[in-house]
Amino acid sequence: MSAALLLDVRNLVVHLRAENGVVRAVDGVDLTVASGECVGIVGESGCGKSTLARAVVRLLPNVEYAQLSGEIRFGGIDIAALSPAALRRLRRSSSFSMIFQDPLGYLNPTRRIGPQVGEALSDTRSRTETRNRVHALLREAGLTEPATIARRYPHELSGGMRQRALIAIALASSPRLLVADEPTSALDATVQLQVLATLRRLHQERGMALLIVTHDLGLVAELCDRVYVMQAGRMLECADVFTLFDTPAHPYTARLIELSARRHRPTPQHEAAE
Amino acid sequence: MTAFLRRIARTRHGPIGLAILLVLLVVAICARWIAPYDPKAQVGTSLLPPSSAHLMGTDNIGRDLFSLVLVGTRASLAIGISSAFAALLIGGTVGVLAGYFRGVAEAALMRLTELFQILPVIVVVLFAIALFGANFWLLIGAVALAIWPLEARVIYGQFVQLREREFVAAAIVADLPTSHIILREILPNALPPVIVQVALDASLAILIESGLGFLGLSDANTVSWGQLLFTAQDFLDSAWWMSVFPGAAICLAVVGFNMLADGLNEVVNPRAVRGAVGLPA
Amino acid sequence: MARFVVLRLLQAIPMMVVVVLLVFTMLQLTPGDPVQAIVGQFPVPPDFRAAIEQHYHLNDPLWMRLMQYFLNLLHGDLGYSFQSQQPVIELILQRAPRTLLLAGAAFVIGVPIGIGIGLLCATTRNRHVDRFWTTTALVGYAVPGFWLGQLLVILFAMRLGWFPTQGMAPLISRAHGAGWLLERVRYLALPAITYAVYEATRVARLMRASVADTLGQGFIVTARAKGLSRAKIIRRHVLRNSSLPVVTVMGYAFGVAMGGAVLIETVFSWPGIGLLLIEAIRVRDNQTVVGVVLFISLAVILMNLLVDMLYGLLDPRIRAAR
Repeated sequence: MSAALLLDVRNLVVHLRAENGVVRAVDGVDLTVASGECVGIVGESGCGKSTLARAVVRLLPNVEYAQLSGEIRFGGIDIAALSPAALRRLRRSSSFSMIFQDPLGYLNPTRRIGPQVGEALSDTRSRTETRNRVHALLREAGLTEPATIARRYPHELSGGMRQRALIAIALASSPRLLVADEPTSALDATVQLQVLATLRRLHQERGMALLIVTHDLGLVAELCDRVYVMQAGRMLECADVFTLFDTPAHPYTARLIELSARRHRPTPQHEAAE
Repeated sequence: MTAFLRRIARTRHGPIGLAILLVLLVVAICARWIAPYDPKAQVGTSLLPPSSAHLMGTDNIGRDLFSLVLVGTRASLAIGISSAFAALLIGGTVGVLAGYFRGVAEAALMRLTELFQILPVIVVVLFAIALFGANFWLLIGAVALAIWPLEARVIYGQFVQLREREFVAAAIVADLPTSHIILREILPNALPPVIVQVALDASLAILIESGLGFLGLSDANTVSWGQLLFTAQDFLDSAWWMSVFPGAAICLAVVGFNMLADGLNEVVNPRAVRGAVGLPA
Repeated sequence: MARFVVLRLLQAIPMMVVVVLLVFTMLQLTPGDPVQAIVGQFPVPPDFRAAIEQHYHLNDPLWMRLMQYFLNLLHGDLGYSFQSQQPVIELILQRAPRTLLLAGAAFVIGVPIGIGIGLLCATTRNRHVDRFWTTTALVGYAVPGFWLGQLLVILFAMRLGWFPTQGMAPLISRAHGAGWLLERVRYLALPAITYAVYEATRVARLMRASVADTLGQGFIVTARAKGLSRAKIIRRHVLRNSSLPVVTVMGYAFGVAMGGAVLIETVFSWPGIGLLLIEAIRVRDNQTVVGVVLFISLAVILMNLLVDMLYGLLDPRIRAAR
């Protein structure tokens, strides 16, 4: 088991400085993702799951932390200890990428989509080669007219298209792990399902591991093999998806499932709309 | 009030700004007693360089420059602070009317504000002085005329925002008089960013006043730092001290107000100041 | 885009009208003899008084006077300077290129320096570097431009003798070609540097805030996730996005500058628009004062218009909104 571990996080601590005291956003968390596995992290908003996701790929905001420690082993290398230059090299070489909840804010509004995807590719390519590769990535992310999309600016795309553009950027380095922070929460219901299907296809076709952070247990049930439940910066439990839904070990988990079921109970109109 | 001062004292620039302004204030009030010589009398040979007898030297007609700079504090601070408050009064009224009543008043007043903001400050002031001449009160009026749009924008923004809040809706439903809603309900909540702006405006007013003085357009009967620089312009080759010391005094006052504004901003708006800066590797 | 340009032009017209109204009102409010208010402090012979009264329709009702005022302006009639015995428009056109030269040189030097310092402050990981430059910019902001000018004159012109103290050319010049150019540059250097420092401190403050804002945006995180180098992130994602607000303010500042940096032109006796205004105010040549004020307002409003359009070219979001 441990030989095939892609990501192995041990005792990760992220304590933020706040106006009065310290916020223990991530407070001693262990987390593993095996190669090709799809893992979910669920919890209410503010439980520290987004901070955890960003910490895992070393994309935390650049502020002073009260405490920032732990081990993040990716493919055997402790990336928490890597120098900036080594980290940059790793990011560009089949390692890990991340996509975000609000795709508009995570795309540069003043640049066209094409170059934004292109600059994520390694630099030693000819211009035509880069363009073809960008189009291939956009197509793989589910955008059917890549040549048109590449010339567009982010604000000219729909929410779903933007998320796909962001996915294309993330795919550029052929990552073995994709971390997705609330990848569908900002999208319409139908678009949510389509983006979800795309993620599942990429997971299967590329054998790419997924680490999905969400408050949406429905999404987790659709996609994930294994689920972590997080509360107030700590992991409450971890189980495979069937065990978790059938016999939650923790009352908090049971309540999350119940709340989510109530929210997602389909009404006739709802089904008609889809 | 003491609690407020204590909070300013804990900010990065606040205490320095406060200290500078306190010293200047004391100097302004006590100038006559602190000054070693009568600032208007000829007390030595003209154009003497700084020495122990004349700390900042003497000017072209033999007056003691140190005494003149001390006395000049009064005019500069008085015009700076009064203009800032006059601007608060004009800008405040415009901002409140536009922000609370909206509609046509809003459109007209904010267009006017925009126009005044587009016109170059110094030209507005110069034009007013060219036509009406310069005495102390006109000077304050002219400087206030130039900086009121800044206040109007801040207060307008606050009112537009606060007007939509529940406590205002409650007051309107309770049928309280409009003047009560504006003055008692909204105004106190709108003040914090306005205070910061007043401090910034005071520094701007001091700069404008010194510029007018330098152009020889300030009130000829009061000694001010800018006016000292006006005289200095003709003696740059022979008396560097006539330019250096009054100019440094202006800088000190402007830095003081700016640092106070920085401190106030940090107290009023702590989040924005401590935001993340720097690009990680 | 064309529609947008036309629209903005149409919006600029009411602004100009209001400016003229303001100027007109202030002339009306001036105490004393209206003819004297228009002419300034010059002796007015009776037949000349009659000519003025007729030209400005002074004996007609207020609205007629206002109409006439507008009509005169539309014919390019900015008045007649009794001080220099020339139409005001000629005076202005003669001075404008010199102011443009000074302001242009100052912006070419000052704006890039300010952008560089602001960028450095906001992106540096070294707090001391940030603090040093932030404090420098604060003090720089507090230094009145004209005083800085005096200090530079004392140091570099008086003590060291490297540059001339004032003016834009010697009274008699025998220099040709490259020598002539060098001579002009020596005259331009001090005023341009003074003005450049003044602009640079403002740009630096603005740029620092703007860059700090950009760095907090999501797309910077995306850029980091791509494994881009610091230099590439700054060049491709920070610089352009952060420069947008700076462009607006600088465009406006340049508009103001075309109206003449009154104070700096005075320190160095640089014979531009600003000095024209001051000279006119000192001798109470009101026709010239009014003409210059109107010209400066026009310059500023037009410059703002230009900046708006430039902004549209730089920011695709605005371009689309049209």
